[in-house]
Amino acid sequence: MDEFQLSEETAFVVDDITTIIKDVSICTTIGSSAYQQNRINQWTSSVVETSLSQLSKLGKPFKYIVTCIILQKNGAGLHTASSCFWDNTMDRSCMVRWENKTTYCIVCVFGLAV
Amino acid sequence: MEEISGEEVLNISVCVVVSNLSILQCIQSIIGEESYRQDTVNQWTAKIVEQALTLLVKQTKSYKYIVSCAVMQKSGAGLHTANSCYWDTVTDGSCTVKWENRTMYCVVSVFAVSLTP
Repeated sequence: MDEFQLSEETAFVVDDITTIIKDVSICTTIGSSAYQQNRINQWTSSVVETSLSQLSKLGKPFKYIVTCIILQKNGAGLHTASSCFWDNTMDRSCMVRWENKTTYCIVCVFGLAV
Repeated sequence: MEEISGEEVLNISVCVVVSNLSILQCIQSIIGEESYRQDTVNQWTAKIVEQALTLLVKQTKSYKYIVSCAVMQKSGAGLHTANSCYWDTVTDGSCTVKWENRTMYCVVSVFAVSLTP
């Protein structure tokens, strides 16, 4: 029982992190707002900062890297890729895609075990 | 008083400077002459991240690396990216490279996390 609790506390749980990013960071920052060029800087900064502070509050033994891409919906194609040289057994990533009527938002979280 | 070794700080700075040049060359060699094409952009992004990672690992293996790449078609849409990192600011570092040609933008970010505590 103790061992299970220990691994829960130190594991990178993708579902929890996805929920945190979607509900706490993206929805509260952008929500249903329309894409606005003069606010976009604040949005990207706010999403990454809020995400990072929520992740660090989890208190797990990970270093985190959070990247955020916000794209206006106008038909342009966007492709992203990432590759990692790390410890396959401990390190994890998760990607969250979100959209509203005028904006796409893609947040990627990488967790590297300490 | 224990200080960070000058060599560790130099290593990150050197990595950043060398990464910038190597990655620009890497992007140029893969999509330099190309126009944005929906059916091949998948392969391009995959090639860019793989080649960039290979270059970095060849330079030094005492870091964990994350390379991410975004390729966007030029059509007037606005695009913004941001990164933030919760790590050891002394030993870990990142660099971002922006590139464009007539039909597309490419943004590659490299994050290096030290393996030595």
